[in-house]
Amino acid sequence: MKKTAPLVLGMVFGAYALAEFYIPHHTVGALSDEFRSWAAILSAAAFILGGINILQVTWPKIRRREDDWPYKVVLLAGAAVMLVVGLPWHRLGAKTSTPTVVRGAPAAGDRAVVTFDVADDVTYQVGNVTGAGRGRPVAVEVAPGEVEVKLSKRIAGYRPLTTKLTLAAGDTITVRGAPPMLWGRDGRVFNWIYDHIFGPANATLFALLAFFVASAAFRAFRARSVEAGLLLGAAILMLIGRAPFGGAISSVFPDVAQWLLDVPSNGGRRAIMMGAAIGAIATGLRVIVGIERSHLGSD
Amino acid sequence: MAKEHWSERLQRFDRRWIFLVMAVAVVVPLYLPLGLPAKPDPMTKAAYNAVEALPEGARVFVSIDVDPASTPETEPFYRAVVLHLKRKNAKLVFATTWYQAPPLVARYLRETVDVATAPAGTPGYSGPPDRPYVKNVDYVNLGFRDGRSAIIQAFGSDLRGAFDGRADDGTPLDQIPMMQGLSKLSDFDLIVLVSAGSPGAKEYVQYVGTRNKLPMVAACTAVSTTDLAPYFQTGQLIGLVGGMAGSAGYEKLVGRPGAGTAGADVLNIGTMVVIAAILFGNLVYFVGRYYRRRGGGA
Repeated sequence: MKKTAPLVLGMVFGAYALAEFYIPHHTVGALSDEFRSWAAILSAAAFILGGINILQVTWPKIRRREDDWPYKVVLLAGAAVMLVVGLPWHRLGAKTSTPTVVRGAPAAGDRAVVTFDVADDVTYQVGNVTGAGRGRPVAVEVAPGEVEVKLSKRIAGYRPLTTKLTLAAGDTITVRGAPPMLWGRDGRVFNWIYDHIFGPANATLFALLAFFVASAAFRAFRARSVEAGLLLGAAILMLIGRAPFGGAISSVFPDVAQWLLDVPSNGGRRAIMMGAAIGAIATGLRVIVGIERSHLGSD
Repeated sequence: MAKEHWSERLQRFDRRWIFLVMAVAVVVPLYLPLGLPAKPDPMTKAAYNAVEALPEGARVFVSIDVDPASTPETEPFYRAVVLHLKRKNAKLVFATTWYQAPPLVARYLRETVDVATAPAGTPGYSGPPDRPYVKNVDYVNLGFRDGRSAIIQAFGSDLRGAFDGRADDGTPLDQIPMMQGLSKLSDFDLIVLVSAGSPGAKEYVQYVGTRNKLPMVAACTAVSTTDLAPYFQTGQLIGLVGGMAGSAGYEKLVGRPGAGTAGADVLNIGTMVVIAAILFGNLVYFVGRYYRRRGGGA
């Protein structure tokens, strides 16, 4: 049962996924959409399973003080921190979504005056007028009528404060407020970690490629045979043709690079893609008819 | 003991010297730009023409499937194409299938869509000005959905269902006027894919593009260009912008030089260093081989 049920499910859904391409009936399409929703849910659930799996794999290694165990501590600590800051804790408290509005004594004139008394890292918007706080009151003249007032932080992770005001000629209004910090995916801490740790670390790892490519170009890219020589020549022409300086030297280089891409590269690439596709079809059919069982954990 | 030939010494020299040369090659052009013109290639021109051919107010789906590592290559194109689309007053719907992307997408929207990036009077820009877009009026951010190829298939048949009928900020899509008549990818006039890998442009072509005959343009990293070029050749992608060089070309066509154009100098010098390393490595190799055949060395 442990293996038969997944096998039967694989066969049924695999056969259906194949058949739906050839049955242009709306009920089949609707059922397919439902199945795709299931797939999305399962995919999301895999993240939870992944988290549990990381814990199961790394925790025993930390307890046994195996090689590189401090890195595993960093891994678990990082995952725990992101889990904690990724939850929307701000929903537990009172939700502040409007700024404080204080009406002053009416003044003469045919326009209203809205004064923003906000910190210098807060931007304000009244109607179509926007500006930055200066840490001291800033007065904005506004035509009478209904206007929307919005206070936002310049950086991500804070909830904007908004309200609608009905203004009459001569009204003097003072608006105060500090957009509250958010937690969770849109929160300040999550965004800070993303911008200042994840982003730079991710980019740094990719940037290291430039150095390794240069090193490999010197050490390994040798014309040891005719085939390697052809590859080398094509690579140099491609490098010159795809970089802007190639076009500056001669328009021949970009044309040659485009030809290399369009004819030999695409021809070879297409052959590989078609071969892989045929292989995937064959494997898919083997799964559907139950011959291929390695995905169930069998030999 | 025979004296070691110079070619043999060079074959073993410390590779950190190459790292140093590459570091200088990357840093110097940032401060002393060469300013060589970036010539758009035919695939980039085709992508530009596809956007240029859109009618005023066209509806465009933009999938931003990137991570911070790929932003130097893909972000310049994103910025240029969004300016291009805004100049046409296109209604934009954003989504991503990469879990690393949502904070990046939020920043992109803040910096390029919520504000005008090329208002009238922008120095060095002579094209039509753009304007700030209003959320859920001029553009909608659907946010992130996991599911790889399955979710891309779902976009093709039931985009609203894939996002539970809500935008990323929770607004029901039924309450957003610009979403009227938009329920699947084939309802859009153009699909723009800013794609750094998988899932991305390849999956869009394979699972929904060809089946629904979608007009799609894609931007990818330089290493993915050869993967996607066959799809451009067959017309499954109607435009392809490859790497930083492609992005610089697109910026030139839009008339707004940006990070792609600035980065093209780094690309130039970095490429020259790689070519020099290949040639020098082979020179050392052949001299060493000649020396050994003449009976030198051990």
